[in-house]
Amino acid sequence: MEELINKLKLQIIDALNLEGMTPEEIDNDAPLFGDGLGLDSIDALELIVILDKFYGIKLKSPAEGKAVFKSINSIADYVQKNRTK
Amino acid sequence: MGSSISITGMGIICAIGNNSRAVLDSLRKKESGVGPIRYLQTVHKDIPVGEIKLSTDELKQMLGLETREPISRTSLIGAVAVREALAQAGVKDLADKRVALISGTTVGVMDVTEQYFERMKTEPELQYLPHSNECGRSTEEIARYAGIPHARCCTICTACSSALNAIMLGSEMLKNGEVDVVVAGGSEPLSRYHLNGFNSLMILDRERCRPFDETRAGLNLGEGAAFVVLQKDTPGLAYVSGYANRCDAFHQTATSPVGEGAFLAMTEALRKAGIGPQEIKYINAHGTGTPDNDASESAAFLRVFGDKLPDMSSTKSYTGHTTSAAGSVETVICLLAMQNDFVPASLGWEHPIPGGVVPTLGKTGVDLDYVMCNSFGFGGNDSSLILSKHRPEEAPETLLDESRVKAAFRRVVSTDEELSQIKDYLSPLETRRMGKIMKASLLSAFSVLKEAGLERPDAIIAATSRGMYELSTLFLEDISNNGEELLKPTLFMQSTHNTIASAIAIRTACHGYNITYSQGDASAEWAVRDAKMLLRKGEVKNVLVCAFDEELEEGRTCAFKAESTLYTLDHE
Repeated sequence: MEELINKLKLQIIDALNLEGMTPEEIDNDAPLFGDGLGLDSIDALELIVILDKFYGIKLKSPAEGKAVFKSINSIADYVQKNRTK
Repeated sequence: MGSSISITGMGIICAIGNNSRAVLDSLRKKESGVGPIRYLQTVHKDIPVGEIKLSTDELKQMLGLETREPISRTSLIGAVAVREALAQAGVKDLADKRVALISGTTVGVMDVTEQYFERMKTEPELQYLPHSNECGRSTEEIARYAGIPHARCCTICTACSSALNAIMLGSEMLKNGEVDVVVAGGSEPLSRYHLNGFNSLMILDRERCRPFDETRAGLNLGEGAAFVVLQKDTPGLAYVSGYANRCDAFHQTATSPVGEGAFLAMTEALRKAGIGPQEIKYINAHGTGTPDNDASESAAFLRVFGDKLPDMSSTKSYTGHTTSAAGSVETVICLLAMQNDFVPASLGWEHPIPGGVVPTLGKTGVDLDYVMCNSFGFGGNDSSLILSKHRPEEAPETLLDESRVKAAFRRVVSTDEELSQIKDYLSPLETRRMGKIMKASLLSAFSVLKEAGLERPDAIIAATSRGMYELSTLFLEDISNNGEELLKPTLFMQSTHNTIASAIAIRTACHGYNITYSQGDASAEWAVRDAKMLLRKGEVKNVLVCAFDEELEEGRTCAFKAESTLYTLDHE
């Protein structure tokens, strides 16, 4: 799990252009959207691309991703349960 | 007595017909033009679109063009629609008149670029083809193929509101006596580029779109071109009675829940027309069918019309969303409805949105005097146009003397060293998606505002020949490398020419007029002309003009220049 979380964070930093950020700086439990990291609707779409590209998980809409993208932990949980690659 | 702007001719080509007669026929028979992809080269055959039912070769034939060289569909369909509009208007001695051709497009010549993108890198003989999206090029081609080579060309790139903004600019130029005849509208073909872009934003419905329906799941892209001929103080088919452009200033691709930009545009258009909301008999809504747009537009309708919403429909389930051409495609649909006393149906609508507005399923035998047409684009670029059957009484306008307009503050940003200053204005989270040209433009704009002691300008006008050149090239590379799958929405959402003018508006919460011109080397000239006119008419106290362009080497920015100028009025 630790390894997956770290990998996810690196993929997110890259895809979301979070320049200068390190995985350690992203709290596993902090909200990604709104007050936490401050991501927006386009970031949600980028997260959907990450899940598809690296883990073979296809989400149909950003609405479907809402619960999944709450925090790094919730994404990691979802990936572990649903990954096809 | 002021001057009235009349529409003396119209031309259209879109998914439901190659001319206005055919379009009228489809609207009356309630026949949609949305269906499976036939002509566009793409892997996404499961996405329904509103294609013009002619290949590029057939379009060339229609125009009598014998060349085998690639020509953008933007230019071809644009020329077809302009020819029809000019034929109907039948302006005498057109060759001796001062004519302006104002076109809205954002795809521009991208449909040619994307076909030859890879080959252009290695085949020098293809270098004459457009490698950047110089939208102005397509407008110059339209003028040539439509038989008005002497027309002054102007291209407006404000994404999906472009064509409506073109009609507004044309009306203004006529009122000011700058030209005798205006041909205004928009032209937008389908391209692999924006089909994939919208797909990456996950807002394309896999079925026919259902605007204002609770089950709506996105839009269908369509292609089309439509133009109207505008003249001053001439009996016409209908009259342009009010219009406005405002900015939502909320997000580059999302709309504000309260529909602020749309509300402001409709309210100002009504004020300019000198009528109350109850006088509007039909509204052709922007109504794309995306959950976001329709909710936001509904909220704006409720704010403007309360519980007395006139007959309202979206005709995008017939034509698909013709993006930059939507404003003129739907203006022509409104004109056809006014001439033939019917209200077009919101085709396929079934389920009301709880607490939302209800579109009409069509009506006949209605007298449509005042009609409103809405078009909203990326960056929250919101425009509303009001047409009337009778000649409106317009109050005369006075223009302040040009000598009173001054360029009060200016800042040029063109070196890498300067870019770090953006830190003074924006956080790393805010700049993380920005390329050099965006940072340079924002830095020049913010420095000028700071120097002037202004929190926000009254209006924002941008000028660019190539638009977001690096970003759109990166998205083309993304398409090439990934075979149209799993593309980056971050690249596409910032790739329209009006991204920078929108970003300035969003950061300064500026809801005022927001226009982007793209006409090669003449872009800045058009922008400054517009800024001066706004000031001379007393509509604003200041205008921020931002001119920007970048050069690429191996697909990355190697040189850039952004110049912001704040124009104000001299006190007398």
